[in-house]
Amino acid sequence: MHTKQWLMKPWVWILLLFLMLLISMAVGSVSVPLSQLFNADSITYSIVWQLRLPRAFNAMLVGGCLALAGLLIQNLVKNPLADPYLLGVSGGAASCQLLVIMLGLSLTAEALFLVGFAGSLVATLLVLKLSYHGHIRPNKVTLNGVVMAFGFAAIISFMLSLADGQQIRSMMFWLMGDLSFAQPSWLMLVVLALCYGLLRRQHSALDLLARGELFARKSGVHAERLNLMIFIMVALLTSMAVAQAGTIGFVGLIIPHIVRLMVGYQHRHLLSVTVLAGALFLLIADTLARTVLSPIQLPVGIFTALVGVPVFLFLSRKI
Amino acid sequence: MLLVDNITVSLQDRRVINGLSCQFAAGEFWGIIGQNGAGKSTFLQCLAGLLRPEQGQVMVDGVDIHQLDPLSRAQKMAYLMQEQEPSLAFSVAQAVEMGRYPWPDDPENRYRLTQQALIDCRIKDLQDRSILKLSGGERRKVELATCLAQHSDYLLLDEPFNHLDVVYQRFLVKKLKTLSREKTVIMVCHDLDVVAQYCSHVLMLLSDDCYLSGDSATMLKPTNLDKLFDEPH
Repeated sequence: MHTKQWLMKPWVWILLLFLMLLISMAVGSVSVPLSQLFNADSITYSIVWQLRLPRAFNAMLVGGCLALAGLLIQNLVKNPLADPYLLGVSGGAASCQLLVIMLGLSLTAEALFLVGFAGSLVATLLVLKLSYHGHIRPNKVTLNGVVMAFGFAAIISFMLSLADGQQIRSMMFWLMGDLSFAQPSWLMLVVLALCYGLLRRQHSALDLLARGELFARKSGVHAERLNLMIFIMVALLTSMAVAQAGTIGFVGLIIPHIVRLMVGYQHRHLLSVTVLAGALFLLIADTLARTVLSPIQLPVGIFTALVGVPVFLFLSRKI
Repeated sequence: MLLVDNITVSLQDRRVINGLSCQFAAGEFWGIIGQNGAGKSTFLQCLAGLLRPEQGQVMVDGVDIHQLDPLSRAQKMAYLMQEQEPSLAFSVAQAVEMGRYPWPDDPENRYRLTQQALIDCRIKDLQDRSILKLSGGERRKVELATCLAQHSDYLLLDEPFNHLDVVYQRFLVKKLKTLSREKTVIMVCHDLDVVAQYCSHVLMLLSDDCYLSGDSATMLKPTNLDKLFDEPH
């Protein structure tokens, strides 16, 4: 086992997160010296506190939600390739939101959030309905989720092929993930905290579930109830993340793997570190996305993969 | 006392067990024998409360097993699966500690009982290894230790000797014999010699819904064994 004790400490991650937050405040199309951060008279003050900080906060929340959802869905379906979008969430949200963009409806950010949230919940409920026979059948979740994703991909391609140039650009941004519009949502923070709190109390049961559903049941876990709870949490966390920032790929797939390589397989450590690492990762990716070709802003989804792939390959040498 | 009252079980529309009744008491060491597909593992899962029979019921110490919540059920029943499902790379010590899940231990006690189970099953030297990097026999020992750490009244073992070397098989069957003085040990086993030598009671699952049970001296008489061996295959 190649776990490192110091990486299991949440405060290490909180410290890293805070450092990265300072860096991301300072860099961008206008660079801000750290000494100017708290000077209320300067123009940079409003750039930092009204633009960059909300955006960074948003990135951390979305990253934390996606990473936690990824950890949970991989445990539910026992498949290392599963990611939070498996439940049809992204397809449902994207289809509805793209439809709104295509129809040229000018909705507020909050309304667009609600449209996406509703779309993803409908899609998730459909997957749940198809995979539920008295209790959730995890292997049917995988199958139904993948098939549904193909269906939604077709709908999305159909809309893309009908859209005009300007619309296509905003749609592509949405599909690759974009943190530039949304304001941080307090609802998301509350839901993330609630999910984390509930899961923390069940950390041993989650370990047992990771060893197989029958194993968990025979050891005294109410596996049917736990599976349902996981499903609902993944649906909620992912719907919010997608409605907020589009379909940012890779975070939910790769962060749980990276964290397991670093801190081992016990959920006692996994839960907190996954949330914090997800937040840190998306904050780094988003900072890169808006600085690398500054003042041009790139979709953050490009950088989650560009940063995540090398990190994962580096860590996986030990497997 | 574990009481099986006239249970009927179907798996995917195939009737596997039809009208089986039996009772198991403390101090008894049971061997379950029968051909492949006779329903031995299914029966063991019913005893463990993991499978609900269509008809009839399983009563454990006077309570229907499905009336028990999962935790109290696991405090009474430890079940060794025939094959382990694929899993993540927990360490051996972490895996064995999972057997303590049903009990509200403090960390110190949990550690002590886990270590005891590791020593009892002679796998203390493996404790920091990943369970994915063990041989088949070593994994079997880890699963046994997990079941023993559970400290349940009933031990249900599905082919416990699979993958084990002869030395360990002998060590294990003697250990089970000792454990059966206080607990009820019920195992599915294909080795008639072992059953004859160590088990106090035998349950025989034959075709055409014929089930025979009793003490092993009576059950393993030639007339009964002929029934087992004369079955169509």
